[in-house]
Amino acid sequence: MFSFLRRSFFQKIVTLFFISIISFLIIHLAPGTPTEVSPLNPKFTKEDVERLRRALDLDKPLHIQYLLFYKKLFTGELKSYKDNRPVLKKIGERFLNSLPLFIVGTVLTWFLAFPLGIKASLKRGTSFDRSVTFFSYFLIALPSFFLAYLLIIFVVKKFNVPVIGLMTFGREDVSLLYRINDRIWHLVLPSVLGATGGIAILSRYVRAQMLEIINQDYVRTAKAKGLPDDIVYYKHALRNALLPFATMFGLILPGLIGGSVIVEYIFAWPGMGRLGYEAILARDYPVIISLNFIAAVLTLIGTFISDLLYMIVDPRIRL
Amino acid sequence: MRHRTRWQEFWHTFRKNKLALAGLFFLVFFFLFAIAGVLLTYGKAPFFNPETVRLVDKLKPPLSRPTKEVIPEKDLPAFGVYLLGTDDLGRDIFARMLQGAVVSLSVGFVAVGTSVVIGMILGGIAGYFGKMKIIRNFSVDALITKLIDIMLCFPAFFLILTLIAILPGNIWIIMVVIGITGWTGTARFVRAEFLSLREQDFVMAAEALGLPRRRIIVRHMMPNAIAPVLVSATIGIPGAILTESALSFLGFGVPPPYATWGNILASGREFIFDAPWILFSPGIAILLTVLSFNLFGEGLRDALNPKLRRR
Repeated sequence: MFSFLRRSFFQKIVTLFFISIISFLIIHLAPGTPTEVSPLNPKFTKEDVERLRRALDLDKPLHIQYLLFYKKLFTGELKSYKDNRPVLKKIGERFLNSLPLFIVGTVLTWFLAFPLGIKASLKRGTSFDRSVTFFSYFLIALPSFFLAYLLIIFVVKKFNVPVIGLMTFGREDVSLLYRINDRIWHLVLPSVLGATGGIAILSRYVRAQMLEIINQDYVRTAKAKGLPDDIVYYKHALRNALLPFATMFGLILPGLIGGSVIVEYIFAWPGMGRLGYEAILARDYPVIISLNFIAAVLTLIGTFISDLLYMIVDPRIRL
Repeated sequence: MRHRTRWQEFWHTFRKNKLALAGLFFLVFFFLFAIAGVLLTYGKAPFFNPETVRLVDKLKPPLSRPTKEVIPEKDLPAFGVYLLGTDDLGRDIFARMLQGAVVSLSVGFVAVGTSVVIGMILGGIAGYFGKMKIIRNFSVDALITKLIDIMLCFPAFFLILTLIAILPGNIWIIMVVIGITGWTGTARFVRAEFLSLREQDFVMAAEALGLPRRRIIVRHMMPNAIAPVLVSATIGIPGAILTESALSFLGFGVPPPYATWGNILASGREFIFDAPWILFSPGIAILLTVLSFNLFGEGLRDALNPKLRRR
């Protein structure tokens, strides 16, 4: 049991090492060595190069640069170009803003995708199954930025509530109840949007996985000995069908950054995705590199957690 | 018993999937639309001019007529009607949609082409030369698998944004960057196929005959591994199209005067209540294209996968 854990942990450490190197090297793709400015990119000025050179110690040998970069990042010495605040602190604040969006979105995804997928697989071939299938294809194909505006038009016209931003601006002095109501309205649309793609994809996986399991011999045995369908499906089959989803836990963490750029951009939500977008617009390289690195580390942590979960739910793996 | 060629067999299975068939028909239509777009919007005085600015006719709803009294003869839209309305500069949205179609299409193909080439090379090496050691216990296969693991750790969309922000911006770079972040799926497929193919008799026979390695890989093994690659490529194209439209929407795509579906949609952002048609045309076009690619891809997979066929 512990050898599996140790092996997984060791593997993750090695991956982490490479990730740290790659995130750091991305910056060396930027045009222009410290002494010259690339004529190809008008957005990259001489001052940019100079600042980059100082912030990232580009005049030192590569391995020293690498060590210094991570030392600066963790000691808070690495500062954003834009407002000169420590990168790590800035990201931390935005992380807390993204968190409610992420949690509501994830809860919505998992609580809707599983019942849909299971039901579709048990009713395989019926019109319910086919409409769920078509609907999920439809959701996968619907660009989130298009859906966002459809939802905004609908909600604003129908309920007449403002939906952009964290809360309604200039309404800080009203009653607590009103403020809570306001916050919830602002939270609903972006989290629904964040969840739609996930619901569509996850319900497909659940359906496929469940279909695979209910065709197996032990399920037939359970049926043959006269157990009621509900027990066969929800007690015997579902438990095994759920196993692979423990591993999907790792895939949801990086959504905190990558998946939220567009949604946070549209809704002016001051989260990590929006921070990334702003940093890229402003060529705020310390923030960009750190965000990539942190996102990768989050994924890595996610996969380690899913390894752990897998070990708990699947006794075969402990051998 | 009637003997069918592989192609007939494939078509027979594929035809039964009505959704996939519908997808295929729409894709053919989309291809023709994109080709027509190039022909009709290219040149000095194109039939549909996507760049003519007519400020008097801004934000006109679909199927409305131009104000003939003010607009000079040569600036009138084709057929004297704004099929899909106009945007805030009075440009004909139908003409802009025509111009943008080819970008979406070529992004899909170039990006997926890039990722398939990278994926096939790396996956092929991992599958065929996998057992070769680099240092003591560390094999070629382990190296490439590790590379895939590392790639998968980075959030794809944000990595693409980062690379596009750093590299000089033009449409080819955007396409290749989208491809570079998407090769892991193909690599894993090809690796798995090669691992099982290597053990099969016909490969051993080819090796025993002393055929050169390159010939074994390219002529004997690749063709057998191509079906899953083809399927994952078909399913990858709509993903690339969505990514490109999202980049255009955020303003990182093709530079402004040139229209893409993503930036037409972005230009409608400020007028969602007054002129929703600016949003609807590109939104629905992207939706239909991606949907039909996905349905077609699924149909292709079912028709090419003999294991599923028997069910």
